[in-house]
Amino acid sequence: MEDTGTIVAFWLLAALTVGSALGVAAVRDLIRAVVLLITSFLGVAGLYITLSADFVAVAQVLIYAGAISVLILFAIMLTPLASRDNAETFLQVPGLLLAGLVAFTMGFVSLKTDWSVVERGGFEETAAEIGEALLSKYVLPFELASVLLLVAMLGSILLVRPEGSSAEE
Amino acid sequence: MPFDPSTGSGLRTGPFLAEWYDLRDLGNAVGAFLDWIRDQGAPDWVPYVVSGLIGVVAILLWVILSQLAFIWIERRVIGRMQARIGPNRVGPQGLLQPIADTIKLFLKEAITSRKADRALFWVGPVLIFLPALAVLAVIPFGRGMFLTDLNVGVLFVIAVASVNTVAVFVAGWASNNKFALLGAMRTVAMLISYELIQVLALLGVVVFAGSMRMGAVVDWQSDFNVWVLFLQPLAFISFIIASAVEIGRSPMDISEAESEIVAGYHTEYSGIKFGFFYAAEYIAAFAVCGIIVTLYLGGWTAWGLEQWVPGWLLFLGKLYLTFFLFIWTRGTLPRLRIDQLMAFAWKFLLPLALLNVVVTGAEVLIWREADLSAGVALPIFGVVNAGLAVALILGWATFMGHLRPERRAKRAVLTQELGAIYYTPPTGTDEAVRTGEA
Amino acid sequence: MAMKTEPFVVNVGPQHPSTHGVFRMRLTLDGERITDVDMVVGYLHRSMEKLAEERTFTQNIPFTDRTDYVAAMTGNLAYVLAVEKLCGIEPPERAQWLRVIMSELQRFASHTIAVGIFANDCGAWHTPMMHMLREREKILDLFEMACGARLTTNYMRIGGVSRDIPPEFMPAAHALIAELPKRMGEYEGLLLENEIILTRSRGVGVLPADLAIASSVSGPILRGSGVAWDIRKADPYAAYDKVEFDICVGTNGDVYDRFLVRVAEMRQSIHILEQALDMIPAGPVAVQMPLAPRPPAGEAYSRIESPRGELGFYVVSDGGPAPYRFHIRSPSYINLTAFSDMVVGMTVADAVVILGSVDIVLGEVDR
Repeated sequence: MEDTGTIVAFWLLAALTVGSALGVAAVRDLIRAVVLLITSFLGVAGLYITLSADFVAVAQVLIYAGAISVLILFAIMLTPLASRDNAETFLQVPGLLLAGLVAFTMGFVSLKTDWSVVERGGFEETAAEIGEALLSKYVLPFELASVLLLVAMLGSILLVRPEGSSAEE
Repeated sequence: MPFDPSTGSGLRTGPFLAEWYDLRDLGNAVGAFLDWIRDQGAPDWVPYVVSGLIGVVAILLWVILSQLAFIWIERRVIGRMQARIGPNRVGPQGLLQPIADTIKLFLKEAITSRKADRALFWVGPVLIFLPALAVLAVIPFGRGMFLTDLNVGVLFVIAVASVNTVAVFVAGWASNNKFALLGAMRTVAMLISYELIQVLALLGVVVFAGSMRMGAVVDWQSDFNVWVLFLQPLAFISFIIASAVEIGRSPMDISEAESEIVAGYHTEYSGIKFGFFYAAEYIAAFAVCGIIVTLYLGGWTAWGLEQWVPGWLLFLGKLYLTFFLFIWTRGTLPRLRIDQLMAFAWKFLLPLALLNVVVTGAEVLIWREADLSAGVALPIFGVVNAGLAVALILGWATFMGHLRPERRAKRAVLTQELGAIYYTPPTGTDEAVRTGEA
Repeated sequence: MAMKTEPFVVNVGPQHPSTHGVFRMRLTLDGERITDVDMVVGYLHRSMEKLAEERTFTQNIPFTDRTDYVAAMTGNLAYVLAVEKLCGIEPPERAQWLRVIMSELQRFASHTIAVGIFANDCGAWHTPMMHMLREREKILDLFEMACGARLTTNYMRIGGVSRDIPPEFMPAAHALIAELPKRMGEYEGLLLENEIILTRSRGVGVLPADLAIASSVSGPILRGSGVAWDIRKADPYAAYDKVEFDICVGTNGDVYDRFLVRVAEMRQSIHILEQALDMIPAGPVAVQMPLAPRPPAGEAYSRIESPRGELGFYVVSDGGPAPYRFHIRSPSYINLTAFSDMVVGMTVADAVVILGSVDIVLGEVDR
């Protein structure tokens, strides 16, 4: 992280990510909160790139900004009784207290820890290595994740079947 | 080892003159300009920023000019297909029609309904530009003529295209209009289904080329003197159909199905905001045609022709031909219903694309393990894949019942008996559709 | 696990790119399926039936142009047949044959619009319609030769037709008939075999035969449901008993079969025209009638097979120059009563296609 380009990019992306995340909590309208959340996802993808994790960055955009955000939007839209605003609640003060405590703890830990800094040797391609790792060393989690996704798909199909219909192909 | 592409035909290091006036690689002229800047004593980051700026400006200029030209071309070509002339009033032969359209869109009153969410109302049109322009950044227009050659270029294209779904949904939601929301939901469902098919179709290309870099795919095609189109016909067809759906062109323009829900997710948009949607559709179409040309049709190479004709001219020619294909299907084919479109994606294209990936993987494995030479392996793969494509399409269609006699064309019955009744209720699945079970 | 969904009402029209005029339907949807349809007509009501009571019998003929404005000749014909029944007169031979020729040309022209608009509703972006309008233009040129107007022809008169055809009509008509079968082959190839049109229209909007008969529908819808009923054969008028043609019938009662019936009827029209153009005799074209005929008191109902179905006129005369009652039995209006049976259970996109297959003309629905 020596050259100025990366440093400038890091600070911009960090500001974008943290700023949108704060906006998600602070904005009144729920849908606008989701749009800010998407911006925060994109910021995180940028941060992955500064760490030379190119595949993870693109996967972040594809999955989070492309699919999960749509999932959240649909969930908001299909819950008719949910109020569409980040309303005032009586839990504001306890919430702020808790958030402050967590922030303090994390800041304290991150400043006190002795991070071992690794000398990065340029930008390598990660996609091929991730692929090999997924199919050799981490094949069990990979298969478990696929089974989980299959169960989710079957569950959603079962949920929306019209009632009383006969078993189709 | 024969599989290693660096022992190919050596076109990559061909006799390029590398002078600034060598039009076959416009990067030479840019390089000469940057050298001149460096000689003037500018600090190091200036040439870097300037080259980026030149790339961006060049791409934007090209996109805007092509779009203006193609608005006219599309309307004249579709007019010709419909046995009529097309726009011919504004300017000689109607050539100023796109300018007139643009001026009209600028001058129209951009109405925002009172209950619509103002900030989000703007986010939709702006966000819809992002995928199209971002994709244009990774396409190699010629040798060394791209804005950036990402290591994960192919996946980047898909990832950025998926941002489209968010833009469409936000546009539909912010309009505060039942029809727009209905249109937006249909469109999002459609886009998500066909994204999957796009990815599977592209997997075949990546498996052959061994890399996700766009430049690597083009180099692989020029080294082995073959276009991926001939090796992956099924994937090519799936990708073209899926891309037509992604950019919302007929026969899948359900989002703008005029005859059904007026204009879908951009019903409430007028004036320049609608102009954004309109322009973004064209730019996305160019981007998608660029991807198809790069990955399946050899990019800027054409079996050695690029030594004489500039590569970027070949690229643009192929891109415009692919766009003409999209115009052709728009003028000819009617539109599918949304549930039929989704059934087509999940029940027909998805299994075929999966089978294609499996077969392609097996082929590349055989090629590597059996140590065959490219001249033997590739024609065999091409023939096998083409035969498989035809067999799979016909076989699967028959298996899914698309070719049953109840679904086929027939003629009316001609009779002289007055008062006779020839009615037979429609069979099985048709009746189920009518009563809402299927 | 039951998910509760709420039905919601969508209003289609009266201004809509594809409701064929000012027609409004309120669809109650459950998801994408239609559970109920409520049709609102009357946006084009011009009170023709009342206005006709103030005008003489001959002055009412232009009204009939404007009821079914897509098929004016057949509208004229139905009305003058009713008045001729009242007066008890019979038009001359040549007039009967001219009436057949004009009716069949009009049927072909009207079906080009019906079939073209159907393809357009399926989403084919006007391409088939533009091609079919080429043929319609040539037919309209023939009408202009015969009576001076393309759309609102006002050609039939009580006792015959208004004037004889000019000498250039016959060669032009023969030339047209010669090239039409080839064009029909093109259209059949383009439209009947098209996979997407097949998928959009087979099994959609089914109307069973017994329901069709019970709802009094007529025309291509009735024949599409498999009932072989054609007024030209059942109750022949003009010179139809002297020409030979077939009744075109479908078998499934869906949108595709109505479309097939219309295409087959276009071919039958060509066949009838070939015979009529050869068999037409020379002679006078109208019985001499006073300017404002006063039929004896009585009532008459006459019906013809218009391109949309059974078009009937019920005329009551009280001996005066103007009709006492002038009622139009319009096929589009009666066919619309079966629309809700066809549409319930289908999706919104299908509703538009089914409306296109019913082929309504708002002029005759609302009068």
